[in-house]
This record gives sequence, C-alpha cells and structure tokens, in this order.
Amino acid sequence: MFEKSDEQLIVKALQGNKKAWLDLLKRYEKQIYNYGMRMTGKNEDALDLMQEVFISVFRNLASFRSDGSFRSWLFRIAHFRCIEFYRRKRPMQGLEDEPELVCANPSVDENLSTAQENKQLIVAMQQLPLAQKSVVELKFFGQFTFEEIAHQMGTSVNTAKSRLYVALDKLKILMEVEYA
Amino acid sequence: MPNSKLANPEKSPPNNSEMSNGESNDVSNETLLGLWLDDDLNEKQRQEFEQRCISDLSFSQQVETANVLNMQANSYQDSAVPNWDRAASFTQTEKPKWWQWQGLPSLSLAMSVFAVVMVLTGVNIKVKDGAMAVSLSNQTNMQEIDRLVASKLAEYTNHQQQVLNEYALSMQQQQLDTSTQLTEYLLTASRQERREDFAELIKYVNEQRSDDQNFYARQLNKLQQDIYATPEPLSVGNIK
Repeated sequence: MFEKSDEQLIVKALQGNKKAWLDLLKRYEKQIYNYGMRMTGKNEDALDLMQEVFISVFRNLASFRSDGSFRSWLFRIAHFRCIEFYRRKRPMQGLEDEPELVCANPSVDENLSTAQENKQLIVAMQQLPLAQKSVVELKFFGQFTFEEIAHQMGTSVNTAKSRLYVALDKLKILMEVEYA
Repeated sequence: MPNSKLANPEKSPPNNSEMSNGESNDVSNETLLGLWLDDDLNEKQRQEFEQRCISDLSFSQQVETANVLNMQANSYQDSAVPNWDRAASFTQTEKPKWWQWQGLPSLSLAMSVFAVVMVLTGVNIKVKDGAMAVSLSNQTNMQEIDRLVASKLAEYTNHQQQVLNEYALSMQQQQLDTSTQLTEYLLTASRQERREDFAELIKYVNEQRSDDQNFYARQLNKLQQDIYATPEPLSVGNIK
C-alpha cells in the first residue's frame, strides 16, 4: 500500500474526511508530544499543548499552502501555541526571561515520566528562557535549518543563531552540573 | 533523526557559496557555528572553523556542547503518546443534509415572492426553438391576445365560409333534385291526365258511337218495324 502524502490527507480532511485527519494526526502526534515534553517539562502539559496544537492546526488547515512542508508549518503553529501556553501559565514572564530555578519548582522532575537520559536533558532545557529553548529544540530535535527556525519563530536568522549560541553556553554549564 | 554529521565537524563537506569573498575572518562565532550546524560551510569557512576550534577555547566548548546535544538528541527515546481524544480535534461540523440547508427557507420565500410578482405583473415566459423570452409588459400581452383573437377569428371565418359553401352546394344540389323531381312529377302527372283525358275522350267517343249505334239500331229497327208494319210497297217516297 502506498502511503498518502501530507497534502493528500489535508485535502481529504478539508473535505470532511475524519479518517484522513486522524491519519495525519497520528503521523505527527509523537513528534509534537515529545516537543511539548521538552518545552514544558511535564507530561500533562505536553498532552494539553499537543491537543491545543492539533485543534489549532485543524482550524487553520484551509490556510495551509503546500509551497512549504506541512511539518514546518505544524511546528510553526506549535511554537505559537507554546508561547500562548507559557503566557497562560506564567503571565509575568517574558520569552527572554530566565525561568524559575528548578530547585524552586520540583514539579518538573516529579511530573516527568520518560527515560532517565531524556529526563536530564529536559530538566536542563527547562532552565532556559523559552526563546532559547525553542531554538535548541527546533535545531537539535526538529532538525530545521536556521532559516526555517527564523521563519517559524518570526525572527531573523542572526537572532536565531545568537539565541542558540547563548543557549549552548548555559546548557554546557547546566549539563556539567547535571552530570557531575 | 538528528544530523549525525554534527558529531564530526572536521569532516563536514563544504557546500556553501555564501560568504566566499575571503572575509571569513570577520564571521562571528555565532554565525560560524550556525553555518556549521546547518552543514553549510564553504572551504574557507571550514578552515576558519577548524582554526577557531583550535585557538578559541570558548568556541571549541560551544562546538563540544553542540556535539553533546546532538548525540543526546540522536539517542533521545521518544515517549509514547498517551491515549487522548483524537477525534475531538476534528472540530468540523458534520455536513448538513440537503434538506437541512440553511438557505432553503430563504429560497422558498424568494420563490414565493417571485411567483407572486409573476402573477401580479403578468410575466410571460415563452420557450420556443430552444430560446426563452421573458416579457413583463402587459402591452405585449394584449398584443399577443389580439393576435391570437385575430388568428382564431380568421380561422373561424374560414371555417364558417367553408361550412357556408358546403351548405350552399348542398342547397343547390337539393334544389336541383327537388326541381328534377317536380319536373318528373309534372310530366308524369301531365301524361297521366292526358292519358285519362284521352281515355275519357275515347270513352265518350265510344259511348257516342255506342249511342249512335243504338240510335241507328233503333232507327233501323223502327224502320224495319215501319217497313214490316206497312205493307205498302217500298218506295223511295215512303222512306222518311
């Protein structure tokens, strides 16, 4: 059996084909869920974020233009949903602001159900500001180019590179502490 | 899957034409690291990158951290997605049936109004030879009626004329027949009368002759008697 392309599934979903939408959703839900886990640090939040992302994707499906990849478009929406999610959870915290210390917020570690190696990385990432964390996520896990990352985040390529550079500085220190 | 080339920067192939103007020394660490992560270094940039990895401790540490992160991303074990209500994200409302179409009452009303307008204005829609003509003018309608009436009248006149002609022919034929019959009757009656008249005449003549014969008979008898009664010789003078 030939697997239907994203574009074919989207066309069918837009015509009201529920199965096509579910096929498309299942194709990407794992990536989005794990993206949510790394971005929020909690399974429950990751699940909530994933649901919000897919609801938003479905609502905006008609505006998707097939000149770019669906995956890139999906992660762009996921990024904006993630920002909104953070604003609801931490309305006083900016995207560039440092998050609260992990020790002051032990729920990250407690509420995370994943492999131990994953957990250490996720805990370290939670200590980065959202903007830097997003670049790390999209670059190393999403495997996007800086141009794609800049497009998804609505910034310039140089800004994206600067954020990653700063994030790597912090992660180096954090991971040294974690693995010490 | 994460790019495995990141773990070995020295072997990254140069495939970038960007910034190939010999100004790679001016490229910042951030940009150079970004180009390396995008696997987009050209030859000069690659040399510069290797040079900085050797000479710039902070840069080499950045590269090392990126490598570690890349390896962690490679070995990252994706968590399984817990069960969730996937169908709930399909928020499109079910397509209504055709009879549940929202515009149906409006269409109904519009059609009713249209029908009323047609009745009140006397719209005349004609379809002839694949062409449809819609007229809204009563004048046109009256003209059409006049034309139809004239056509019907002409048809009626023709019909009446034809009937009249047939009637006249019939009357003429009947008159002819009647005249013929009358003539025949008159002729027949005349013949009959003449025959009867002749018969009467012949009868009269016969009666006269019979009377005459009787008369002569009687005269003869009388004469005979007279002759026999008088024994006188018969002479011419005795005969009366």
